[in-house]
Amino acid sequence: MSTAITVPEDLWEGDNEGVITAWLVNDGGQVSQGDLVAEVMVEKAQYEIEAPADGRLTITKQEDEVVEKGTTIASLDD
Amino acid sequence: MQPTNDQRLWMYRQMVTSRHLEERIEALYMEGKTPVFNMAKGPIPGEMHLSNGQEPCAVGVCAHLDAEDVVVATHRPHHIAVAKGVDLNAMVAEIFGKASGLSGGRGGHMHIFDADVNFSCSGIIGESLGPAAGAALSRKMQGKPGVAVAFLGEGAANQGAFHEALNLAAVWKLPVVFVIEDNAWGISVAKQASTAVPRNDLRASAYNMPGVHVADNDVEGVFTAAGEAIARAREGEGPTLIEIETSRLAGHFMGDGEDYRPEGEKEGLQQRDPIPRYRQMLIEAGLLDEAADTELVGEARERVEAAIRFAQQSDFLPPEAALETVFV
Amino acid sequence: MTNTTATDSGSRKLTIARAMAEATAQEMRADPSVFVMGEDVGPLGGVFGNTRGLYDEFGGERVRDTPISETAFIGAAVGAASDGMRPIVELMFVDFFGVCMDAIYNMMAKNTYFSGGKVKVPMVLMTSTGGGYSDGGQHSQCLYGTFAHLPGMKVVVPSNAHDAKGLMTAAIRDDNPVVFMYHKSLQGMGWLGTEKGATVATPEQSYTVEIGKAAVAKIGQDVTLVSLGAGVHHCLRAAKALGEEGVDAEVVDLRSLVPLDRETVRASVAKTGRLIVVDEDYHSFGVSGEIIASVAEHDLACLKAAPRRVAYPDIPIPFAPTMEQWALPNADKIVDAFHQMMSQ
Repeated sequence: MSTAITVPEDLWEGDNEGVITAWLVNDGGQVSQGDLVAEVMVEKAQYEIEAPADGRLTITKQEDEVVEKGTTIASLDD
Repeated sequence: MQPTNDQRLWMYRQMVTSRHLEERIEALYMEGKTPVFNMAKGPIPGEMHLSNGQEPCAVGVCAHLDAEDVVVATHRPHHIAVAKGVDLNAMVAEIFGKASGLSGGRGGHMHIFDADVNFSCSGIIGESLGPAAGAALSRKMQGKPGVAVAFLGEGAANQGAFHEALNLAAVWKLPVVFVIEDNAWGISVAKQASTAVPRNDLRASAYNMPGVHVADNDVEGVFTAAGEAIARAREGEGPTLIEIETSRLAGHFMGDGEDYRPEGEKEGLQQRDPIPRYRQMLIEAGLLDEAADTELVGEARERVEAAIRFAQQSDFLPPEAALETVFV
Repeated sequence: MTNTTATDSGSRKLTIARAMAEATAQEMRADPSVFVMGEDVGPLGGVFGNTRGLYDEFGGERVRDTPISETAFIGAAVGAASDGMRPIVELMFVDFFGVCMDAIYNMMAKNTYFSGGKVKVPMVLMTSTGGGYSDGGQHSQCLYGTFAHLPGMKVVVPSNAHDAKGLMTAAIRDDNPVVFMYHKSLQGMGWLGTEKGATVATPEQSYTVEIGKAAVAKIGQDVTLVSLGAGVHHCLRAAKALGEEGVDAEVVDLRSLVPLDRETVRASVAKTGRLIVVDEDYHSFGVSGEIIASVAEHDLACLKAAPRRVAYPDIPIPFAPTMEQWALPNADKIVDAFHQMMSQ
C-alpha cells in the first residue's frame, strides 16, 4: 500500500507558498507514523511535516522546491 | 525591626574588627612604598580600596544573613567580607597573595571568593547586581532557602547593569536586595555632579520595587531597612533597593591625595565616624562599659593580628601555579 | 521535540538547530539544574530555531524569555551557575557581545580562577555567528578569535548537526563555561541560506563529542585545509574541485577553539606539507594566524610552502550583496590560494 505525504491544509495560516528546507530522512529510508520527516519554510517561519503512516520513503519534491498546501511531496510504501 | 542586644554587640564587634583590619592593612600597604610610592612594592602590592567608615552598611545587612545566603560585593569588599563571615585568615592571606589565601593569590583584594559562605565580589563597577540576581533566581528555581544581596556604590547606579538588573529582578520577583553604599564620591567625582537624582533609592519606583533611604550612616537604620527588605525577599515578595548615606573615611584607594574634597569635609566625616558613635550609643544603652569595650576591642584586634601573622608566615605558591585552576 | 522519534537507525537527519534543541532537551530531562534563558527562547523557540519545542515540554520557568538586557541576564547566569544551576544562556547574535562582555570575560571566564578552582561556573553561552545574507556589519560577524583569545572559557564551533548535538551535550555537562558558537548558515533555517551539508545523520540517543578534539572531515595527502563552522563546507567544496585537478586535499574541522587541537593540525600538515587556513572571522590577530603559528612554532621544516589563509578582510562587514559576497571566503578562493601556493 502507498500513502502520499502531502502538505497539510492547516499547517500555516493563509495561502502562501512554502519551500522545503530540509528532508530529515534520506530517500529510501524507513519511517514510522508520526516521525518528523521534513521542514517547510513560509517566509521566516518553519513548519514540520510528519509521516502519516509507516513505510519506506520516496521523495518527490526535493529540498528548495516550492510547495503549496496539498502538494504531494513524497510517498510511503510498505 | 530593632536589633536585639546580642545583634547590637555583634554588629559593633564586626565593625571594630573590620576597622582594625583596614588600619593594619593601611600600615602594611605603605611598607616599601615610601619615600617613592610604587604600587608594585611592599608586602601588599597593587590597588587597595579601604572601607573605613562604611562598616554600618556591611554589618546592618549581614546581621540578617546566614552562610547559605549569597552576597556579591564590590571592589571595596573587606568590611562586607568580615561581616559575612569570610574566613579571615584565608582572606588576609589572599590580600598578601599567599598560598594559603582563598585562591592562592590568583585573585587579590578585589577578587575575594569564599564559597563556604557564598561570598564573592567583582572589581568592575555595577557588576555585583547581575550575579546576585542570578543566585536569587537559582534559589527560587531550586526551591532552596536563602536570599542574595548585591552591594554597590552610588556611582554604580549610573551603570547600565544597575538598571538592567533591577528590571530583571523585579520582573521575575527575585529574592534579592540591592544595597547602595553612597559614600558621595566616585573616586573624585561628587555624586551631585554625576547623578541626576538626589537619592538613588528614588530610582526604585522606575522598577516597581520599594526604595528605602538610610540617612547618616546609621547602623541601626541600616539594620531595620535591610531586615525588612531581606524578610520581603525571603517571603517571596521580590527585590528591594536600599541606599545608605555612608562615609568614606579613606581615599578612593591608597595613595589618593583627596584634593578634590571640599575644605573640612574629611574632618567633619571623621567627627561623625560611625564606630565611636555606636560605641557611645551602646554605652548609653548600658550594653557596654569601658572594661567590656576594651575586652571586645582587644579580642577583635587579636583576631586580625592572628590573621596577619598567618598571612605573613605563609609561603607564596610557586609562580607556575599561575597556570592552574583556569579550568576545573 | 517529542515527534522526532524513531526512524531506522542512522538515517535520521537533523538540522543544527534541532540538534541543539534535542541535546538541550535530553539534558534538561536528565538534570533539573539545566535551564535556558535568553531573548525569544520561549514560545518562539529561538530566532534561529535552537530552542524549538523546549518551552512546550519544560515550561516558562526553565525556558525563560528575558528582557533585552544581556548584561543582566548573562550576569545572572554567572550567579546561577555559581549557585548550583547549569544555565544555558543565549546571546542572540555574537555581534551583541559589546553590551555584555564584562559578564562574559571578566566574570564567567574568571571567577573559577579567582577562587582558585573552588567556584565552578558551569554555563553554556550559545551565540549565533556569521553572515552572507546581507544583515550588515552588526549582525554578521564571527568573532571566533575574540572569544578564543580570552582565557577561562571553552569555545566550540560545530560544522554539522552530529557534532552540534554532541558538543552541546558535552558543553552542558562541562563544569566550565563553554561558548557555543553556531553559524547561522548551518542552522537549517531556510531564510538564512542553509548549507545542506550541515544537516546530517544524528543519533537519537544522548552522546558527547569531546570538547578540544578536531575531526578530519576528509582525508587527503597533498594539502591541509583547516577551518571551522561554515568554513568547513567551503573547504569540502574546494577539496572536491581540487580533486578534479588530481590534488588530494585533507580537510580538518577544528570543532573546538578552546582547547585547540593543535596536534591534529600538526599531524595533518606533517603529512601534506601544505597548509591553508579558512576563517570567516577577520584576517588579522585571529584563528588563522594562530593555526599557522601552531604549525610554524612546532616544526617549520615540515612546510613545503608558506602557509596561506583565506579569511575575512579587516573591514566592517558591508551590506550590499556584491561587496559582502566578494569579501567572504568561498571554495573558489581556497582553490586559488592553493594555485598561488603551488606557483611560488
